Amino acid sequence: MRTPGVLGVMLPAVRDGASLNQALDLGYRQVLVERGSLLAMVGPLAGAARQGIAIFVNLDGVEGLAPDSAALAFLATDLGFSGVLSVKPHLLKDASRFRLRTIQRIHALDSTGLETGLHSLVSPAPYAIAIAPAVAIPQVMPHIRSSTSAPIWGTGFIASAQQAAEVLRAGAAVVSSARVEVWRDFGGVPVS
Amino acid sequence: MATRTTVPPGRIRAVDGSMSRLLEQFGHVPVAAVIRRGEDLPRALASQVPAVFFLRAPAFHLGPLVWAVQARGKMAFVHIDLIAGLGKDRAGIAFLAREIGVNGIITSHSGLVAAAKAEHVIAVQRLLLYDDLALSSALSALDHARPDIVEVLPGVIFPLVVDQIRGRLPLPIIVGGFVTEADHRAAALQRGAVAISTSTAELWP
Repeated sequence: MRTPGVLGVMLPAVRDGASLNQALDLGYRQVLVERGSLLAMVGPLAGAARQGIAIFVNLDGVEGLAPDSAALAFLATDLGFSGVLSVKPHLLKDASRFRLRTIQRIHALDSTGLETGLHSLVSPAPYAIAIAPAVAIPQVMPHIRSSTSAPIWGTGFIASAQQAAEVLRAGAAVVSSARVEVWRDFGGVPVS
Repeated sequence: MATRTTVPPGRIRAVDGSMSRLLEQFGHVPVAAVIRRGEDLPRALASQVPAVFFLRAPAFHLGPLVWAVQARGKMAFVHIDLIAGLGKDRAGIAFLAREIGVNGIITSHSGLVAAAKAEHVIAVQRLLLYDDLALSSALSALDHARPDIVEVLPGVIFPLVVDQIRGRLPLPIIVGGFVTEADHRAAALQRGAVAISTSTAELWP
């Protein structure tokens, strides 16, 4: 894979060209496109990818893309993005054929749902598992670790650097936030 | 259908969708027992919980389980989104309400909330809060659907969202999802939840 993988513990979640620029200005070399129209910001994203920024896309959250092979080929081949997130195993399977890194999203809402998610782990093994909401990670990490050793990302409801730090302390490898204040607080954290 | 022949006489119209009864009982014991598998039921029946939530129940073998709950003076709720074998539609709701006689339906879909209310059973709408976008769309869904009760998941999110939900709609709130410790229960009730829902039997009084 020629595209860059994850480059640090904080993954800024961007939704438009302006927030993308804010993340890049703070020195981040990786972003998550979590929602909003990917197509409305495709120019700046492609430019960032060409400069070696690792770009991950939440396929369940962005607008403007169909959940199909044509969209995956566009992200991988035309745009040079690094990876995709989804709850849908078939979509991740397809994504791995395009040499995109696959991050399987699992909703940690209750024990039944978490179990269902953990039972649906894809093969080939995902690059990472994204748990949403991230704030549940301290509570559910033992359960997750009993079924997978994949790196854990946390996304959703991270509104402070303190919450982000708690999620990382609980064993997450990466935590995502849409708040610029949180990006600022994590700006000094060295890349792993 | 086997279930139909086992419906006791008089059962079909005896739907009890009384919110006031439920809230009054939650006032004494603010816990709903979540049943994930059949073998958990006896312990819930023996407990003081006033309500039992069936998750993942087999629709066409549900009758006896629901009636066992009701025979103990408890109210039975069925999560229709996760139920096996039943359409997630009006006909599915009508089956649960009329043939089984459940007291309430749990769903995360606004459309099914309306169908449940049309059948005069208690409509519990689940807010699945995995990120703040989910919160904003859930809040508009609530406005639209007007359920009888809101169930907020996961429990750890509740303190972060309670004011926003309250500001939007003054509905009774049940907190569920990884409510596994007495501390979690106390925190939810302290922030104004009418009850918690949990599959952790140690928390069933």
